[in-house]
This record gives sequence, structure tokens and C-alpha cells, in this order.
Amino acid sequence: MSERAGIMIPTIEASPEEIYDIELEHSLLEANGKLAVANRALLDRHGVTAVDFMGAIGSGKTTLITKLVEKLKSKIGVAVFNGDATTSDDADGIARQNVPIVQIATVNGCHLDANLVGKALGKIDLEELRLIFIENIGNLICPAEFPLGSKARVVVISVTEGPWMVRKHPHMFLGAQIVVINKVDLAAAMEISIENLTRDVHTLKPDIQVIPTSTRTGAGLDEFAAALLAI
Amino acid sequence: MNSPQPCSPSKTMHEFSIAAALVESVQAFAEKERAARVIEVRLTIGEFTHIEHEQLRFCFQSITTGTLLENATLEIDTSDAAVRCPHCAYTGPPKYWDGALAGTLVPTLQCPECGKSAEPAEGHECAIKAVKFTRENDPEYEAA
Repeated sequence: MSERAGIMIPTIEASPEEIYDIELEHSLLEANGKLAVANRALLDRHGVTAVDFMGAIGSGKTTLITKLVEKLKSKIGVAVFNGDATTSDDADGIARQNVPIVQIATVNGCHLDANLVGKALGKIDLEELRLIFIENIGNLICPAEFPLGSKARVVVISVTEGPWMVRKHPHMFLGAQIVVINKVDLAAAMEISIENLTRDVHTLKPDIQVIPTSTRTGAGLDEFAAALLAI
Repeated sequence: MNSPQPCSPSKTMHEFSIAAALVESVQAFAEKERAARVIEVRLTIGEFTHIEHEQLRFCFQSITTGTLLENATLEIDTSDAAVRCPHCAYTGPPKYWDGALAGTLVPTLQCPECGKSAEPAEGHECAIKAVKFTRENDPEYEAA
């Protein structure tokens, strides 16, 4: 209180704390984004194309990659990065194909990121390669925000996952160039319409190439291999 | 980075990665600014990203304990999506899809004008826009 002209006037003392409000522009996705650009530049310098496979657990990513490696390895140099979260079983299966393979174990167990892929790129000889398959972790929720440096993204869904996979995970398809609808040999038994799934994909992005496949009958695998070579 | 909490891997991990990057960045900023306590962090998240706000809040809350961000409010603004069409030169708001089972309308990459594939032009960001914090009066700092 202070006294002025005989009247007591309350004074406000500065609080021992001052509040500051500072504007920033700090992207939380930029660090990974920059590493992805660096990975891509390294791959481009060596004329190597990386393709990133996303899809739920059990959609058939590993089997598809194994079949494609089988088809392509006599024609071009291929390698596989496998991001299985917990085991090396997937990696062991592909290892029988006798092509370079790097197992990427993520600590968080959620998705691959550009940093991990960058480290994997340091472990193989890029000179002999033309195509790298990057198998992301079986998770349709996470990886959309974390580009890896690949030239194209493949999203694998399978008819056994039901009719609503595209409607449930629409964001995952926005960044994809190719969508594989796998296990089509079971479509009738599952009462799944490939046309409806395809229409859902094209509602999100009309120019996505949709390829129905079956690793059991071999349907669509030649078309898939050709699409990958055309990237 | 702090060691990850056992979030449910099916749902929260993606938001967890982002929350971890967020807390790490703001903590470093607050230390540099000699902040006593962070009161509020403002984020902008684009409509084209697939970041679930409530899960991000949950992860944010669970990893800020013991940091300068403890009890800080997380304000999240959404930035609108926009697309650019290479076929018909349309630029503007995207076509939304009400068929998605995502609880909200989902922005698509189908050009609202010509129906061909458009490219995302805006709405991909996830960025810290402002940090509100307190600083104890520090004559040394003022002089500097």
C-alpha cells in the first residue's frame, strides 16, 4: 500500500514469476523427414529403388516379398530390410532366398523410421542392387507420418481382414502408390468384394494401382513384379 | 529421449513417438530460456496427418512428469487440408469422404473438380507454434 493525497492505494508488486509467451515454428516431423530425404538421395546416387511395404500383421507382407524376391532375384539385384518387432522368423524365411537381408529391430516396436533405415543402408553394398524391399512393422496405424526415403509405398491388405480395411484406415492409403489386395483366393469364402475395396481405395486417391494377389495360387504376382520394376 | 512407456502398441505408439519428440524439444527450449515452468504448449496438426489428438494428450501427460512441462496444458489447433490438382489446376479445399469409419470426414486426394488424383498442398504439418512459460526474476539473465 502507498499513500497518496491521504488515500491508501493498493499497489501490485511484480510477481516473482513472469509469464512469457514465445512463438515458434518447430516441426516435429522434420527430423525424420530430413533423414528420409538423405536416404533417398543416397539410393538415387546408386540407382537403387526402395519400396516400403505397410500392412497389418497377417496381411501377407513377408510371403509376398519372399515370392517377389524369388521372381526377381535372377533378373536384378534385390535386398530386403525386415522390420519385424520381436523375432527374426520373418528374416530367416527370406534369408533362404540368399539375397542381402538386414533385420531392423525397433526399440519402440511400433514403426520403422528414416534413421533406422539409414543405418540399414550402411550395412549393405548398394552397388550390386536395383531394388530394396522394406518391410515395415505390421501396423496400419503408425507409419504414415514417418517416411523412410523409399520411392514408393505399397499398402497390403487382405480379404481376411474384412470389408472395411480402407474405410477404417483411410490415411494409410493417401501416401501409397500401390495397394495390394492379398489372399483373393479366399474372397468368395470371406464374402468380400474386391470391387468394393478397390472403389474405396480409388475414392481416396484415384491413381493408386490396385493389384489383387494370392501367394497361394500365384495370381497377380507377375503384375505386381512388373509394377515394382516400373517404379 | 526417455525410455518408452509401455503404451498399447496397437494404438498409442505413433502418438507416443510424436509426444516424445515434442517434450524433448520443449524441454530443451525451456532450459535454454531458463524457464521455471512451462504452462502451455500450442501445437498445430494438419488434417492430412493421422495423429489422434486425445492419444497425443495422453502420451504427453504420461511423459511430462518430472520435466519442466509437468502439468502444462497442450493446446492443439487443426490446420485445414488443401489439395492441388496437376490435371485441372484446381487448388483449394479437398473433397471429403463420409464413408470412412474414422469418426470424422476424411480429406481425400480426389480432385473436387475433375475427379482425378490431386496432390496434398497443405495440412501435413505437426509443429510447435508457441510455448508459454514462467521465468523467475533473474537479474543476471536480464543483464545478459
